[in-house]
Amino acid sequence: MNRLTLAVAGGRKTQGVVDECAAAPAGHRILVLTYTVANQHEIRTRLATRAPIQAQVHVQGWFSFLLGHWIRPYLPRQFPNRRLSGLNFDGDPGIYATGVCRFLDEGGRAYKLHLAQLAIMTSSASGGAVLDRLLRMYDEIYVDEVQDLNGYDLEILLTLLSLPIDLVMVGDVRQALLLTNPRERKNSQYKGIQVKKWFDERAAAGLLDITQAATTWRSNQIIADFADSIFDDSWGFEKTTSINNGVTGHDGVFVVRPEHVDAYMPLFQPLCLRHNANSARSLGLPFMNFGIAKGRTCERVLIAPTGVISDFLRLGKQLEDLAACSLYVAVTRARASVAFVSDVADTIDFPEWTP
Amino acid sequence: MCGSVYAPMFTQLLNHPNHHRAEVTALITRSVTHLPGITPSMIERVFVEGYRRFKKLDVALSAPLNILVGDNESGKSTLLEAIAIGLTGRVNGRWMVEELNPYWFHRPNVEEYFGSYGSQQSAPPPEILIEVYLRNDTAVQRLRGVHNSASTDCPGIRVHIAPSPEYEQEFSEYMTKQPPPVIPVEFYSVDWHDFADQPLTQRPKELATAYIDARTIRSTSGVDYHTREMLAEHLDSRERTSISVAHRLGRQQITDDVLAPINARIAAENPTLRDRSVGLQMDQTSRTSWESGVVPQVDDIPFAMVGQGLQASLKVALAMSRTAGTSTYVLVEEPENHLSYTTLTRLLARLQHLASDDQQLFIATHSSFVLNRLGLDRMLLLHDGRTATLSSLGDDTVGYFRKLAGYDTLRLVLADRLALVEGPSDALVLERAIRDATGKAPLDLGVDIVSMGGLTFRRALEVCSCLERQVVALQDNDGKEPTSVVAPIEHLLHPPTRVLFVSDPSNGPTLEPQVIAANDDATLREVLGLTDRVDLATWMRNNKSEAALRILDADQRIRYPAYILEAVAVLQ
Repeated sequence: MNRLTLAVAGGRKTQGVVDECAAAPAGHRILVLTYTVANQHEIRTRLATRAPIQAQVHVQGWFSFLLGHWIRPYLPRQFPNRRLSGLNFDGDPGIYATGVCRFLDEGGRAYKLHLAQLAIMTSSASGGAVLDRLLRMYDEIYVDEVQDLNGYDLEILLTLLSLPIDLVMVGDVRQALLLTNPRERKNSQYKGIQVKKWFDERAAAGLLDITQAATTWRSNQIIADFADSIFDDSWGFEKTTSINNGVTGHDGVFVVRPEHVDAYMPLFQPLCLRHNANSARSLGLPFMNFGIAKGRTCERVLIAPTGVISDFLRLGKQLEDLAACSLYVAVTRARASVAFVSDVADTIDFPEWTP
Repeated sequence: MCGSVYAPMFTQLLNHPNHHRAEVTALITRSVTHLPGITPSMIERVFVEGYRRFKKLDVALSAPLNILVGDNESGKSTLLEAIAIGLTGRVNGRWMVEELNPYWFHRPNVEEYFGSYGSQQSAPPPEILIEVYLRNDTAVQRLRGVHNSASTDCPGIRVHIAPSPEYEQEFSEYMTKQPPPVIPVEFYSVDWHDFADQPLTQRPKELATAYIDARTIRSTSGVDYHTREMLAEHLDSRERTSISVAHRLGRQQITDDVLAPINARIAAENPTLRDRSVGLQMDQTSRTSWESGVVPQVDDIPFAMVGQGLQASLKVALAMSRTAGTSTYVLVEEPENHLSYTTLTRLLARLQHLASDDQQLFIATHSSFVLNRLGLDRMLLLHDGRTATLSSLGDDTVGYFRKLAGYDTLRLVLADRLALVEGPSDALVLERAIRDATGKAPLDLGVDIVSMGGLTFRRALEVCSCLERQVVALQDNDGKEPTSVVAPIEHLLHPPTRVLFVSDPSNGPTLEPQVIAANDDATLREVLGLTDRVDLATWMRNNKSEAALRILDADQRIRYPAYILEAVAVLQ
């Protein structure tokens, strides 16, 4: 049966995949797909520590999966006499490019932008051979970071869901920050966190079971409760339970005035996070952007809030999807403490830290 | 995994103190136990273009066992080599990229290219294409796709050797200098891909291949690459490591104990070198890894020093013990070499056993015995870059030849034109008749006269008919009407390509009375050197071969029975 596990940040999603691979019987052939290179490396490393593993496990990135299994073997069926020479990661053929030019650059490299669409086309041009080949190669497919799939990627997922093969997906839709192609019109209603609706609809159609894993090993309960509060109840997320009961003397969510940051920094050495390079320049701290922090874990974070985040903190004004996801990612990096820099600390309902 | 399973056998093979030839033979004949988990992936087709003698060769295969036969220079070995290149990327144990040389290219293509270069219709630069098509089995799905010249959706591997786009300019500059007609391989690149268009850098693990060449022992260190590879696979990684460490320590000890005093002396005697210490040490670089210094032994004799027959047996035995579990493809070059009849028979039994759902065998042979034994229907005849098979041969005929394994079937198979006769005396008389009519020996006309020697005309003609051979058969009437002799085998005849002439019963049942009937008594007595007192018919019946030899060597010509003359007319 196809399964989706929606896990909270710090819910050991990846560990779950590794555990299942390690427990799989001998002869079982498993393909593990992830969206980011960092995560591929993470999974390979963790699998290596579990050696010897009985099953055959193959870890692959999403793009390499599309290139290697969907496009490369059967590209001539879609575009006669063409061979694939690689991936054009950043290129854009432009919105008016049609035919082969929309998908392959002059050097025969496929545009990442339309990769999944080319995969779908090649698969149907192959007359079912792409899927037959895949079915005969693997008994089970895991997709980690499933929240990052969008546009035609979802058509790929839909195809996999319909195949007689077990598809096991894990992800956290509240961390949906990456977009392969922001201009893509296909499935545009399911961008970002809205992808949860896509999964809910497939579940309703009986294509998969969704379970929630609401236990976090990372953030303490105060941070977890705050992170939960970023999203409206209408999303239907279960309340996060923390099993991090550690006490450091500075635990929970705080506000720090800009003039106290210099004192805060050496004392707590937090990871400093901001929206982008234009945010909080005046503070002069070694900031990292929200998006890049994804996947990291640290003891404490210090966040330079954007205007909308400030409004959320002060007035409880709901954030729009992407901003909410960004803040969720930023907050849930921390095990012990989250501090927001604000010059109106007294208007925010969190304890203020002073030197 | 396999290494440890067969390690006991390896040890037994190489280290047993009282080991002798019979035991090697016994090991060869030991029954094969197949390890589980190996799934077959039969080679279904091999396509070769522009490689050595093949302008284009397209071979369809379906059987686990394939026996390649053909004249010398017909490309048996070349085909095995091409399969090995496709499957392993290696040739003679070395990377094809390193081995690539101008003589790999099909000579006529090269000549055409250089001959037409710069003209209106210049030929494209020669290229080489080798494609191995596999059955669409689960184990090889990774190699599946449509990147092959047939655009077929199946698993497979493709080697394409063509001018490198990178050196396009250098290549054309080179050509403007009117170079000698030798392909400048420096400007070529070797593209090794599976049919999914995934580049290959090493042999795909699904395609375990064993190449057994009993003909020669190539490497100067006594053991060729294949043998060494086999040996290495009998050792597990722990054993390999311990050998490697001991080897390294040993070399270091020589440096410390033996070379150190020598170095001290060198330093003392060469004051000019004093500011830099110069001396000798044992080479510890990877070039001197233990693999190149370790050789198999038999009865404490290094492998290279034992007899070639034993070497061949040993190689085959080693390859097979490994092969039984791991290799999907086994390529064997001329297994008959250096082997005694008994050893060969046992070896063939084992080879036959090996060919199964799990393994596919390709055997190149010059031996009719090997061919008959392993089954004529498994034969793949290479001729002029084309292939023919005997797969439509009836099972009973295959079984018949298997029992008659000593029969020289390859003569039937390889001859340009065949004359089939009853026995040796018929062969001699026909030879003389051809010479009398044409002034040439039969072989100069491309005619091979084969005497049946126990084989029936029906079986022989069945083989010839499968191969569409040109054949003239001469059969005795044995007292029957020619029509009743022809009737049972008429379906195998195809005039004028395959014809049968039967002697006239009114002139006697066999060759001797036929000759007597065709000649006057005096001439025949003179040719045979017989006096009047001898009864001609009796003497000839009792001295068939002698009579034929005298006819062959006589100064005087005889007259020939009509059926022989008709045959000669066709053969002319």
